[in-house]
Amino acid sequence: MTVKVEVIEGGVPHNQILATGLIASLICLYLSYLNVITGTMWFSFFGGLAVVAALYWGSHTIKVLCSYGIGTGVPSAGMISFGSGVIAMLLATKYNIAAPIVALVLAAVIGLILGYLANEVLNMKIPAMLQALTELAIVGAFTLMGFAVLITGSFTFTALTTGTVTILGLSLPSYQASFIGGCLIAVAFLLGAIAIQHPFNACLGPGWTQDRMLMLTAECGFLSMIMAAVMSFALIPFGPALISLLIAIIGWAYTYSKYFELSKRDAAAWLDAKPIPDVEVQ
Amino acid sequence: MSAVAAKPAAGGAMNPAAMGVGIVLLILIIGVCYYISPGLGLMSLIGIIIGGILIGFGVHFVPVGGAPAAMGQAPGIATGVAMLAAGGGLAGLFGGAWAADQGLVVAVVTGGVGGGLMMAITCMMVNFIYVFGMGIPAASGKVKNDPITGDSQAEFKSQGTEGHGLPFVSFVGGVIGGLLAGAGGTLIYLMLLDLYKATLPTLMQATEVQILPIAVSAAGIFAVGMFLVNAVLTAYNITGTIEGPHDPKFKRWPRSIVASAVASALCGLVAILIVV
Repeated sequence: MTVKVEVIEGGVPHNQILATGLIASLICLYLSYLNVITGTMWFSFFGGLAVVAALYWGSHTIKVLCSYGIGTGVPSAGMISFGSGVIAMLLATKYNIAAPIVALVLAAVIGLILGYLANEVLNMKIPAMLQALTELAIVGAFTLMGFAVLITGSFTFTALTTGTVTILGLSLPSYQASFIGGCLIAVAFLLGAIAIQHPFNACLGPGWTQDRMLMLTAECGFLSMIMAAVMSFALIPFGPALISLLIAIIGWAYTYSKYFELSKRDAAAWLDAKPIPDVEVQ
Repeated sequence: MSAVAAKPAAGGAMNPAAMGVGIVLLILIIGVCYYISPGLGLMSLIGIIIGGILIGFGVHFVPVGGAPAAMGQAPGIATGVAMLAAGGGLAGLFGGAWAADQGLVVAVVTGGVGGGLMMAITCMMVNFIYVFGMGIPAASGKVKNDPITGDSQAEFKSQGTEGHGLPFVSFVGGVIGGLLAGAGGTLIYLMLLDLYKATLPTLMQATEVQILPIAVSAAGIFAVGMFLVNAVLTAYNITGTIEGPHDPKFKRWPRSIVASAVASALCGLVAILIVV
């Protein structure tokens, strides 16, 4: 039942992608803290870059996990990733500057326990399960935190729950015009959950190549970032939101054209599998 | 060997040691919750665990066919557990959330009815497409006779398939699954909503009316998150596909109950920690 159907041939090893994604995502989340230091919102776009970095790592984790025939479909891995990630991320936001680190630790603990439940209690016995569910929970938490930063400019609980509405030039605090109060988190949840599972779901098969899948991940990440940047116009000033949107569109256009090239490159290759033997040759 | 005598697939065995560890973990988490919030928090956690168990148990009833069902080679609804549970269960959760003001019992029942209705419509349309679109009859491959109607199945089953379409017992299973999962999702949502409504005003120094959007939104997203965690763990338990309550894989439910209880307790504890 737990037969590994595909192996990673060549390409970048998984641990390297793990380290790159984790560090890049953490650094981007912390760079967004420049918002607080400078008292502006100009650095919100770093949240979007953190999303892309985390998804880049997460989609490769899904590839490692789903290479074992788990039988439940690739989307389920994306769903459990964000289901466990959102819980860790929301508690972590209470710890102000330490939020990304707390999210990392908390998501790792939740993912580890879920991995144990899946592997031992549910008897899945898949070697990669424990590590993969741990990684996926962290990816889910980081992606949601990245979206939160992109949309609101901050990752603290107060900033995510409190917004302001302007009525006749008068600025009033409002809990409804916020990331959590306005339930923008639900949109972020599904934007991320689809972006993380789609690349492997679309690229799997005998023609799978690592660089093509990862380019598609980056493309999906930037596409989600465009949506989130559009939503951010509601909560952060016009200038910073426009910068986020421009970066997202440029990133998307670049990765999309690259993905198109890679698809054409791979489509030209032909696998001589010969499912039906030639019997007519005399 | 007839289909009835077939042994459950590998992976159906229990792992008593791991189940024990799971139960110890569950007691430990409840203990931690009792230590930090003996009153409201503990009651919410217990509600959340019951909700999680309902979801985990309910998903076993839903006839999940997966990719083979889409090709008419296995019975069930032609998609994965995550999608089906999200469709049926979240429909119930939204239904229950509308009735949240009318008390726990009414809201949970509404959630259950919402989920069951969603699954009933899904199952009926699936059979419409199978019968009139793909031209295949409903036949189970796991049992000789339908356990409810007693209709024999073998004559209608195509050779080389595990059955196809959606037999009556699978249809009933789908509705029961939707009822349980919808009620479970609603119960988790209500527990968290009550907890947040009671604690957030003091935490954020605002009135209950002001924090209501945050309480609703946070409880909602947590309920969705826990729902998906429980549904996917159950999907792992049945390794992707199941025909309904008559399937031999259904006997694996005790494992899923333990896993769902621990997972819900863990996620619930984290959700409670936000406000205490």
